[in-house]
Amino acid sequence: MEAAEREVLDAAVGDAIRREAAKGGAAVDEALMGLGWLEMLHAEPRDAIDCVFRSLGANAAVASVLDDVVVSALGTKPHADLAVLLPRYGEWDPPETDGLVSARAATAGAVLVVGRAGAELRASTVPISAVELCPVRGIDPDAGLCTAHVHGDRAAATRLDAEAWDAAVAVGRRAVAGQMAGACRTMLELARAHALERVQFGHPIARFQAVRHRLAEAFVAIEALEAALTAADDEPNLMTAALAKALAGRAARTVATHCQQVLGGVGFTTDHPFHRFLKRTMLLEGVFGSADEIVGAVGRRLLVTREVPTLIEL
Amino acid sequence: MQVAEFRTQLHAWLDAHHAELAPRVSLPGTLDERVAQMQRVKSLLFDAGWMRYGWPERVGGLGGSPMLRTELGAALAARDLADPGLFSLIEVLAPTLIDFASPALAAEVVPKLLSGAELWCQGFSEPGTGSDLSSLRCRAVPDGDPRTASAWLIRGQKVWTSLAQYSDRCVLLTRTGPPDSRHRGITAFLVDMHAPGVAVAPLEMINGEREFAEVYFDDVRVPADHMLGELDGGWTVAMNILPHERSSCFWQRIAYLYRRLERLVELAPEDDRAADVIGNAYVQLHALRSRSRTTQHRLAAGATLGAETSIDKVLVADAEQATYDAVRRLLPGVVETDDSTEGEGWRIEYLYSRAATIYGGTAEVQRNIIARRLLDLGSEA
Repeated sequence: MEAAEREVLDAAVGDAIRREAAKGGAAVDEALMGLGWLEMLHAEPRDAIDCVFRSLGANAAVASVLDDVVVSALGTKPHADLAVLLPRYGEWDPPETDGLVSARAATAGAVLVVGRAGAELRASTVPISAVELCPVRGIDPDAGLCTAHVHGDRAAATRLDAEAWDAAVAVGRRAVAGQMAGACRTMLELARAHALERVQFGHPIARFQAVRHRLAEAFVAIEALEAALTAADDEPNLMTAALAKALAGRAARTVATHCQQVLGGVGFTTDHPFHRFLKRTMLLEGVFGSADEIVGAVGRRLLVTREVPTLIEL
Repeated sequence: MQVAEFRTQLHAWLDAHHAELAPRVSLPGTLDERVAQMQRVKSLLFDAGWMRYGWPERVGGLGGSPMLRTELGAALAARDLADPGLFSLIEVLAPTLIDFASPALAAEVVPKLLSGAELWCQGFSEPGTGSDLSSLRCRAVPDGDPRTASAWLIRGQKVWTSLAQYSDRCVLLTRTGPPDSRHRGITAFLVDMHAPGVAVAPLEMINGEREFAEVYFDDVRVPADHMLGELDGGWTVAMNILPHERSSCFWQRIAYLYRRLERLVELAPEDDRAADVIGNAYVQLHALRSRSRTTQHRLAAGATLGAETSIDKVLVADAEQATYDAVRRLLPGVVETDDSTEGEGWRIEYLYSRAATIYGGTAEVQRNIIARRLLDLGSEA
């Protein structure tokens, strides 16, 4: 997508998400559908995913577009009535019978479920009535996540390519990592604004080197994540997406720690918006695997293959 | 030639000529041996043309994108054919001559540097001048009127000058303005290291090697046509190095770090702790490589690199130290007690990696720059 075209898209999506965010996930979904989200996802997946997820993260907004991204990567046509069974929290294996469902659980008629039958990967669409749902309140109830258990046999399952699930995990991780990048940027902007405004000992605290270095540290973590997102878009595969998601988890921890410290007392209250971004990034870290789990899995792979691939070239 | 095509052909050639190019001794070898190896490899690569890609034709190059020479440096590092820290000095020396020397001087001397016929060094840091480069004091005075003098006399001291004891020439920053003129009163020269009055005293580093030296200039006479850039324009010359240092040099260092991590992966135990430690170093290297790649693509597209390369600098230092921290954790006792050739190599490199947060602008200076210039936090208290 041309840069000018992308700017127009960012503005339109950003406006819609900011306008509808307070009304909840269904309103954001509807606004995005109205902007042609599914068509964009089909025609320009790279920019569509980056733009929408980044903006969701930046505004701590909820939507169920992750379902469309994963459904589409599994080779099924996405639509507003179809949710997908995501892996269990902190995991990335095909969920079989138990996993997570997004806020779309409230409105969807059916859920796409992927599991293994022996060596084969299979997908089936089950009616929502066959799925036992339990809202996850946890640290971030606004995110609308549910745990889900799928009842009954799934005789109508269709066979998937062996790589289909890996592809879905990769694109899902890329999307969530982009969302976390958006949230990280907002956390840093909140802390930066506070540091410039808050006066102690006769100076804005932004003038103290200890504060400046914390914010610099947060910025470096975000820029490292951004570079990894670009690498994952330029060379899309399981490994680049995994590393982007791991770096998103790490960046979120670094950014949240430093920004919360700089925000001091006000960041410890729910009057200030910081807590929403902290909690959202904490929750998102476990979707498709946490940084620590991914880093361990990647390290094991390097040890088994005894190779250290460079992944991207000039 | 396109970068990808160049890479393919280069690697094919390096495969075919491995026997000629390979080091004559087991690595790490002594610094003397590594310098000799590098110069021998440069000479072979220059004769075969590879060393000339990415450099302008007017200095003996074959033209093409500077990324071609970055690929060459990375390939040599990844194959252990040349020490990337030493080899990439070309990237901070040749561009200075190309951009700031008279065309005749550049055409005369740059081919000697590229072909390995000569070795050069960079005289920037001084005993009282570490991160604060603009406070340098080494003086250059004109032999007569500054506008018409045929020569300048240089008096002062430099330190941390890499490979000074092997060098034929030095790109030197001198004070030509009043002592307090900061960045406004600095002038660059290309100085003959064999000239009377130059004395070199190598410094033993923490790892036992003598890569750096103190260099003393005692009224060393330099022809006026060896001035680089304008009189009092040395700060521009110094700043011009940054984009090269933080693109090509970093990419070569990164290639080498992947190579070292790969060696560690061959030696490490196959357990969960090793997986975490290796994974940690790898994810940092990937972030760094991704960042460096975008920086070089911006440079190739015509962008002027500036303060944002402080991000690259922070990432390269952290990734380098993470890599060697991983070595120390997963090969217990090797850095401390292993007297084999390989143990010696890990020890030298582990200790060297501690400097990654110090040289080229300390980690603290980079964060100051990020806060001031990139986050726009205003001046410090």
